[in-house]
Amino acid sequence: MKQILMGNEAIALGLIHSGVDMVSGYPGTPSSEILGNFQKFRDKNSLEAYAQWSTNEKVGFEVAYAGAISGKRTCTTMKQVGLNVASDALMSASYIGLKGAMLLVSCDDPGFYSSQTEQDSRSFAKFAKIPVLDPATPQEAYDMVKIGIQLSHDFETIVMLRPVMRVSHAREICDVDESLHVKANEGNFERNIPRWGAVPPAGRFRQGLEQIERLEALKMWNWDHLIKPKIHALKGENILCLTSGTGDGYVKEAIEELEIKADILKLDMPYPLPKEKLEALFKDYDKIIIFEESYPCIEEQLSSPKLYGKLTKHLHLIDEFSKDKVLDALVKTGVMKATSAYKSEKYTEELPKRPPNMCPGCPHRDVHFAITKVFKKKKSIYTSDIGCYTLGLNQAAIDTILCMGASISMASGFSISDPDKTVIATIGDSTFLHSGVAPLINAISQNHRFVLVILDNSTTAMTGRQTTPERSNPAQIDIKRIVEGCGVHCHEYVYEPHLEKTVDFIKSLQEAYKNATAPVVAVIREFCVLDKENVPSYIGSITVEIDPDKCVACDACITHYKCPPLHYNEAGKMEIDSFLCAECGSCLEVICPTGAFVKKEEA
Amino acid sequence: MKYQIVIAGIGGQGAVFLVKVLSIASAIKNQKCLGTENHGMSQRGGSVSCYVKIGEFYAPAIDEGQADLLIALEGNEALRNIQYLSQEKGVIIVNSDHNFPKLSFETHSIDAFSKAKAKAFPINALNVYMLGVTLAKDAHFPFTCKEIEEAITQMNPKVAEKNIAVLHQGINDTKGIK
Repeated sequence: MKQILMGNEAIALGLIHSGVDMVSGYPGTPSSEILGNFQKFRDKNSLEAYAQWSTNEKVGFEVAYAGAISGKRTCTTMKQVGLNVASDALMSASYIGLKGAMLLVSCDDPGFYSSQTEQDSRSFAKFAKIPVLDPATPQEAYDMVKIGIQLSHDFETIVMLRPVMRVSHAREICDVDESLHVKANEGNFERNIPRWGAVPPAGRFRQGLEQIERLEALKMWNWDHLIKPKIHALKGENILCLTSGTGDGYVKEAIEELEIKADILKLDMPYPLPKEKLEALFKDYDKIIIFEESYPCIEEQLSSPKLYGKLTKHLHLIDEFSKDKVLDALVKTGVMKATSAYKSEKYTEELPKRPPNMCPGCPHRDVHFAITKVFKKKKSIYTSDIGCYTLGLNQAAIDTILCMGASISMASGFSISDPDKTVIATIGDSTFLHSGVAPLINAISQNHRFVLVILDNSTTAMTGRQTTPERSNPAQIDIKRIVEGCGVHCHEYVYEPHLEKTVDFIKSLQEAYKNATAPVVAVIREFCVLDKENVPSYIGSITVEIDPDKCVACDACITHYKCPPLHYNEAGKMEIDSFLCAECGSCLEVICPTGAFVKKEEA
Repeated sequence: MKYQIVIAGIGGQGAVFLVKVLSIASAIKNQKCLGTENHGMSQRGGSVSCYVKIGEFYAPAIDEGQADLLIALEGNEALRNIQYLSQEKGVIIVNSDHNFPKLSFETHSIDAFSKAKAKAFPINALNVYMLGVTLAKDAHFPFTCKEIEEAITQMNPKVAEKNIAVLHQGINDTKGIK
């Protein structure tokens, strides 16, 4: 059956068609739509399956892993930096193996579209010694989910699927199974203490030996099932292009369009590779060029003086693939002469930059504004975290961003290393529950002095508004009570679009900080303007206009407040774009030094 | 057939919607189609550019100098993406006021913001409106009006009638313009 699917939808459908009935993960672009779509397919077809967001990737991994140990077919989804969080569990689980099946989907983001690193999950799979499949298109992603689940079951190992953003967020007409032959698979944990509870050194050493044997068998499987069937299609040219994932598509198109004579061999499973068998193929070629994204995962497994790749500096070391990069590699390796086939002139005049920004009406903007207004820049350090509020960078309201949860631990660190400054940490609700609680306990137990503001909009907004533990279970999970349980008072403010009130609240934290001997912690109850269920009714009812006689074009509003509708008109006065404005009325107070923002009364 | 389209705009304007409509239209036409979209942080109010490649293609992204058509939901976003257009055959369909600069590409500009301000169509249907302009102006556009209507209907039958009305508004508003 033909269906138009985005890569992440194709993966979700592949999971259902592989009999997976247990999925847990943590959202992160570009992986977020996999679990959400799995839930949609499940509900639409009344299937019995567990599919839930976990508090973080490590938790998500471990939930799915226990399912797999019990004989179920399971999956865990995350983005590449989420794999760092889950890596502790993965490294150990790789030794132990499983009974049912488990697919670990780790989505990469070459080109840094929505991520703080460009790390290659394939290389992580190599580090963890588990097989990895690297799809090039949504169709391949669908097919490889099935291969991965079967492989995981047959070899009793976790298998990784590594789609990059250009696969997860690509859209293609896919050929998929018609029927939904899914029934919940029976879980039955069989006690086997030497296996599931293996302790070092003897138990783990034995499992380490099994792991090595398993990898050797997987190499042969890779050759027999994935590589060998493609050998006959090689035409005996002088150049061999070894490709993996999306690199394959760019090479195919470029080779065809540039009329280059070269064989292309795509390695669907870039690790583990049957090194000797592959190297035996090289004898008939003059040059072997490796096109992979983003680390030299394949290249590091092979050796030959004829190899060209990232290690030999013939291919780009950073940024996502393009045909121009393929062309560049073909030129550097002497396969063709330089041309500008994939270059064209950019518009030469300067264009206004349009970086991502918080939505009009977003409460985060007011909080960042208030924090920098109350805690002056020269005497403050603003640590922040991963989420929409990261975009407070646009308001120059953030000094550091590291990784999930680091705002709090780094606030601890700065309070020790630079005690003359006040540290103000900001973290969202989902990030706080993901990895903010442990650093808070650390800070309280050691009496670190800083201000922590938890921005609670009760959703995981940046990745598409996935449900948080607090939202799904408000009677039991409450950030205020978590903070109080750690032993400090939790200040609370229910956000209103009145900047004066927000500023006053931050001032009260400043007061509390003066005599504090421990972190001053506050939770601000916000909402996400895209979250229809929670948006208050005043949004969309307050129209603001700018009095051109009062506007002195001082830049204060666009520098510190940075709401997208604000721009200068042809007369050089500030103006509000009515198409973009959320009509929340926040800008009526505080932000304009000359009071030019006025409420537009109904005519 | 091979046809490559860049859709440029600002996060929230509905560029992704157009990728979906064009891939459904490709399926209706029995053509292969590979598209790519922006989600997550890259989506938040910043510049977005989505690609649709119809025909025998293997990679989802479009390289410089390759695209047949650039549909821009805003003027500056058009200018930010002109390097993707083919020098020989590239066509620009852009929502811009009279200030859009003269370029070496065949350009069809319409001030859709003014039309929306005058309540000719709701601003959240800007994407569909510009698709109508494309149907009227791009002689090589690989889809018929009927195919696009069918795709819009398949995509969301509930709002199809309204969307198709805006599509025709886009077509009619541009017919007289050279």
